[in-house]
Amino acid sequence: MIQVHNLVKRYGDLIALDHFDLTIHKGEIFGLLGPNGSGKTTAINCMLSLLKYSKGEVKLFGQPMGPNRYALKKRIGVVMQNVAVFNELTVIENINYFCGLYVPDKAKRKALVEEAIDFTGLGDYRKFLPKKLSGGLLRRLNIACGIAHKPELIFLDEPTVAVDPQSRNHILEGIRKLNQDGATVVYTSHYMEEVEQLCSRIMIMDKGKAVATGTKEELKAMIRTGEKLTVELHALPESILEEIRGIEGLVQVDYADNTLTMRYAAGGHHLSTVLDILRRHDISFGRVFSEPPTLNDVFLEITGTELKD
Amino acid sequence: MFRNIYWKRILRTLRDKATLFWTWIFPIIMATLFYVVFANLDVMGQLHEIPLGVIDTESYQQDISLHSALESVSDENGDTLFTVSLFGNTDEADIALENGDIDGYVLYDLMGDDPTLVVSDDGLNQTLAKRFLDGYLQIKNSVSIQATERLSSLLEEETYTKEISLSNNPPTEKVNYYYALLAMMCLYGGFQGLITVTYLQSNLSPLGARQAMAPVGRMRMVAYDLLGGLTMHFLCLLIAVAYIIFVLGTDFGSKLWLVLLTCFVGSVLGVAFGAMVSLTSKLKEAAKVALLITVTMVCCFLSGLMVGGVNYTVAEKAPVVAWLNPAARITDAFYCLYYYDTYERFFLNIGIILIMALAMLTVTALFVRRQRYDSI
Repeated sequence: MIQVHNLVKRYGDLIALDHFDLTIHKGEIFGLLGPNGSGKTTAINCMLSLLKYSKGEVKLFGQPMGPNRYALKKRIGVVMQNVAVFNELTVIENINYFCGLYVPDKAKRKALVEEAIDFTGLGDYRKFLPKKLSGGLLRRLNIACGIAHKPELIFLDEPTVAVDPQSRNHILEGIRKLNQDGATVVYTSHYMEEVEQLCSRIMIMDKGKAVATGTKEELKAMIRTGEKLTVELHALPESILEEIRGIEGLVQVDYADNTLTMRYAAGGHHLSTVLDILRRHDISFGRVFSEPPTLNDVFLEITGTELKD
Repeated sequence: MFRNIYWKRILRTLRDKATLFWTWIFPIIMATLFYVVFANLDVMGQLHEIPLGVIDTESYQQDISLHSALESVSDENGDTLFTVSLFGNTDEADIALENGDIDGYVLYDLMGDDPTLVVSDDGLNQTLAKRFLDGYLQIKNSVSIQATERLSSLLEEETYTKEISLSNNPPTEKVNYYYALLAMMCLYGGFQGLITVTYLQSNLSPLGARQAMAPVGRMRMVAYDLLGGLTMHFLCLLIAVAYIIFVLGTDFGSKLWLVLLTCFVGSVLGVAFGAMVSLTSKLKEAAKVALLITVTMVCCFLSGLMVGGVNYTVAEKAPVVAWLNPAARITDAFYCLYYYDTYERFFLNIGIILIMALAMLTVTALFVRRQRYDSI
């Protein structure tokens, strides 16, 4: 569906995309994950031929993409990071306008517009002007305008930024449904939970480079750190902390703010060993949390910085 | 496709309150202000008969030359400078002067020498009467008695000229201001051009980026959208012209269709100007709006919108600037329609406006063809 080869994009001296390669297959929900400024949006804009690039090749549907490739554009839907709707047109007029750029037939378009309204849950707001909509509803309208023409390939660039949880869930559900209906989705976000929850394959980007690609399981398997264990306790003498640090297979042990945090090596499980030590020394403890490794851990280990930063 | 883009553009313009105010309401307010401020402008320039008294003494009866001079400022159509009333004595004349029945009276002193003018106020009429009497005395004293019969014609040649209009329409200062206002409105079409380009270029707005992804040629989209903007702008000019003619009662002459043609061509120029400015500069939208307004107002100032007669000064001192000033060309086209019976200069103006618009649209088209940008 998408082949990007050796893409280089420079802004003066800054390299926004550094020999970037990407392959996305039909039917995938592909996530581009990375902190702000990692090159996700630049990659999408280059793929869509909105931006010039210094070097490389972009193929969509097996054909080279260009600004005048209208046959390809007709099969693509784009939901930009910034809301792009006309403030003077109502919800239904906006969707009808953008759908009309792809579907000239009025009757066919009417049905598609209604479908997009139902899909995004904007039925009660069809006569509303955008300024009357909440942030979440506005994002939904932004999506409706991008997908009303039923594209085969959909680019969603950070569609859930500044959205309330209810609208976020609605949007994520909608994306899954689009995918089930046959659309291939390229989804960018810096919210790792969303990407983890939604995407069948994920690319982690940093400083214009693809640092890792795979399913979430494959990505987590790439790193040497495994589960993270957190224990709440009021006091922990240094000698006991040293004893815990001596457990084989623990790669990190910290105690701060009445919380003991430990990270195992990949595949390790040492919960009972740690709790045994605490009991033996009559150290009372509160809640105990065990978390599997996250994509942030993957990003942290590969790049040395937190994804959240 | 055309209908979708064109009608949505019209709808958007109708609902855009800021544009609606600046291009629809503001000119109507300006026209109304002109109407109020300049209501008496043409009346002020007209000369009315001056009521003048003469003390009917023996000296006056014998002063044939003054009789002739007073008669000379009347023409065969009855357009008279003075309405002369005779008084038996100064007491009667003083009462008439006090009551405002006359603006002054001519009095011969007891010696029967030169006449003098008695006035009780300062004003245009008193000044004219004094100028007349001074001129009369100056000539009377410098010519021989035998030439007094020619005095009237000499007075006429020296002081009083008659304005002959080459136009069917009466001369008026007021319409010039309305012409300059209409020229300003035409150039305000720049807002429409700016809106089109801002919302269709991917490097200028998210909306531009979204529309750039549509499977429609860029030139087509820009052309359809500009056409919608032009339609709305021309409609606003039609309303303004109708308001000025039918509500404010200003006469634009008999060539109304050509007035509307000028409005249309001027609108094309305005829209093209806005599109070009918006495309070629890297300023932010607010700065582009400010630039458009500034350029428009400077052009309008030079065409005489704020100070009447500036356009004549510019045409005399810097003719190239005058010819290249779009507002001046539009104003001049209106002026030609009102005053001239021939069309050469009118169509020369229309031709220049169209060439300017074409040049701006060509530059716009060249920039629109660029579809990928270094940054968005």
